[in-house]
Amino acid sequence: MTRFSIFNLATHALKGHRDWRPTWRDSAPAEGYDIVIVGGGGHGLATAYYLAKVHGIRRVAVVERGWIGGGNAGRNTTIIRSNYGLPGNEPFYEFSMKLWEGLEQDLNYNVMVSQRGILNLYHSDAQRDAFARRGNAMLLHGAGAELLDRDAVRKMAPFLNFDSARFPIMGGLLHRRGGTARHDAVVWGYARGASDFGVDIIQNCEVKGFLRDASGAVTGVETTRGAIRANKVGLSVAGHSSAVAAMAGLRLPIESHVLQAFVTEGLKPVIPGVITFGAGHFYISQSDKGGLVFGGDIDGYNTYAQRGNMPVVEDVCEGGMAIMPMIGRARLLRSWGGVVDMSMDGSPIIDRTPVEGLYLNGGWCYGGFKATPAAGRCFAHLLATGAPHDTAAAYRFDRFERGHLIDEKGAGAQPNLH
Amino acid sequence: MPEHLTIQERDDIALASVMARKSMSAAKIGTALGMSLLDRPAACGSGAVTFIGTGPGTWLAFHDGTAPDFAADLTHRLAGLASVSDQSSGYVVLRLAGEGARKLLQRGAAIDFHSASFSSGSVATTVIAHIGVVIRQVDDGPTYDLATFRSFAGSLREWIDHAAAALAF
Amino acid sequence: MRIPCPYCGERDSQEFVYRGDASPRRPEGEDGFYDYVYLRDNVIGEMAEHWYHAQGCRNWITVLRHTRTHRIAAATLSRETPA
Ligand SMILES: Cc1cc2nc3c(=O)[nH]c(=O)nc-3n(C[C@H](O)[C@H](O)[C@H](O)COP(=O)(O)OP(=O)(O)OC[C@H]3O[C@@H](n4cnc5c(N)ncnc54)[C@H](O)[C@@H]3O)c2cc1C
Ligand SMILES: [Zn+2]
Repeated sequence: MTRFSIFNLATHALKGHRDWRPTWRDSAPAEGYDIVIVGGGGHGLATAYYLAKVHGIRRVAVVERGWIGGGNAGRNTTIIRSNYGLPGNEPFYEFSMKLWEGLEQDLNYNVMVSQRGILNLYHSDAQRDAFARRGNAMLLHGAGAELLDRDAVRKMAPFLNFDSARFPIMGGLLHRRGGTARHDAVVWGYARGASDFGVDIIQNCEVKGFLRDASGAVTGVETTRGAIRANKVGLSVAGHSSAVAAMAGLRLPIESHVLQAFVTEGLKPVIPGVITFGAGHFYISQSDKGGLVFGGDIDGYNTYAQRGNMPVVEDVCEGGMAIMPMIGRARLLRSWGGVVDMSMDGSPIIDRTPVEGLYLNGGWCYGGFKATPAAGRCFAHLLATGAPHDTAAAYRFDRFERGHLIDEKGAGAQPNLH
Repeated sequence: MPEHLTIQERDDIALASVMARKSMSAAKIGTALGMSLLDRPAACGSGAVTFIGTGPGTWLAFHDGTAPDFAADLTHRLAGLASVSDQSSGYVVLRLAGEGARKLLQRGAAIDFHSASFSSGSVATTVIAHIGVVIRQVDDGPTYDLATFRSFAGSLREWIDHAAAALAF
Repeated sequence: MRIPCPYCGERDSQEFVYRGDASPRRPEGEDGFYDYVYLRDNVIGEMAEHWYHAQGCRNWITVLRHTRTHRIAAATLSRETPA
């Protein structure tokens, strides 16, 4: 496949950009593979890419029921960060951040990683202490963190409402290496890289069930395009984790909920990076096109509908108005929703399942985009070697039963703390 | 024709919440009170006393005119049938009257206030600007009574003033 | 989304607090507690679920709702709904 370079871009420009070729192959299913990945989002495609590239396993297929990137990969607010506090989490997200930092060179594809910084606002002494502690954990893992006081925040974002009676801004935790990446480009970049190594990307192919042998082990998938055999099957279906796992008789510690997002008309550059107002369920950044991209909390009821309801629209907009009153002058262009796999402690699962031959990468809640490179690397590692990757060793399937929850936010789907 | 809206705090009333004991019906409670009592979101009453349905087997009872013994009297009459608590200082009741009152409520609550579906005697326990309110239509003027917890009353009043200003009454 | 409260009538979902799947039953002993607390069917389809009408009649309601279309087939007071 063509390598992108200045020379190659210039040649195409001189030819009027007329003979660009598709960058990845749209395949028909073969009879069998070493590994079949279910779900052509960022995670599924990254898994296939690293299986081929790192582990040399190239008889791999990614089966996607719609089109690649049509799920949460194409619906998220594109924030990438390594600002977690717990030992089970931070090494993983830092690993992911390092992969983001080298991703464009690795993929030879512009995924528009933009490290413009993430600022978490705090409003009380207690919150500052909690942020300082998280910042220290980040420093220990090499992620970098700075605790800003009120004046420093004012310098960065003078337009914020510093004197709200309920949530006066006292300062913020700044993670300079955080930022955004271009969601579609991440999907296409991994698809191109995987396709290059010979991975089959099979679209319009919905998994309807599993092939099992006499012992009950999974030996492939039943799809709308026929049966496909595989030595191992990996699930990377985000909001549909429970539905697909149920086809193998599994119940998961996961509920599916909808998360909404919003974008305004394009404006001149105004938001310096990503700003989060966690206390008011609101976060915002500005896209390269100028739109203010913002969101808040999940709607809060089980759903598989990729659209949300009005109460959360109101809640998010109220949060925006409270912290950043000038947003009231911007016109909203679009809003949408994605079905997210809320795990019971808010942290993911990358593990083998109790069913032989079936592996799960799921429970990413509303925060799996930033994890895309590391989730792909770690899931590939697990599928190839049978052992968890060092940085994902805490994301075990049975941790709820063993009492080893990773309650970073202290809230999953059911504990009803949202 | 100019639309009218008058807003008045009712401080000439006594209030009590009434909650049926297990398996005590509205009929039994009504008999003890000498009135027919409805177990649905509606107002019913006799004389100075009005019962407003706020939930299955629960009512907010209004007494027109101050009556310091209202709750004690109900407690006595409903002994064994229902639990009664004095709410006279727990709620603030605002009386909104005039055609503008309907428009105002239409802006605040997700309830159909058209006279075909909400009229004299209708009751709704709902929310306006995140503040819980019990709304009762008193007559077809229309006149409404809005009961809200006393500590929220200031915020509700602020919303009313804003919304009324926007409607330019 | 509007939830038909058996007492109050149809109301905006904002008035309610959601609790989730109505089917898990609290086990008597320690056995089954992991299932009860953590595992969910999380169905695509009709699901009986608990909603609390916090800003209305303050009753728990059992709602039969489709998780993809949000169509509601039935809503009853939970205390009158057989477990
Ligand atoms: C509104 C919104 C905002 C978000 N913002 C952020 C953010 O700012 N930062 C962040 O880190 N994360 C964010 N997230 C979360 C993030 O988008 C997800 O965690 C992540 O994209 C999930 O991984 P994925 O890309 O592989 O999922 P998806 O793109 O959803 O991929 C799963 C794929 O599986 C396919 N599939 C499902 N069932 C089947 C089947 N039976 N057979 C075949 N294929 C099937 C689906 O069609 C889908 O394409 C957000 C999510 C939403 C909805
Ligand atoms: Zn109700």
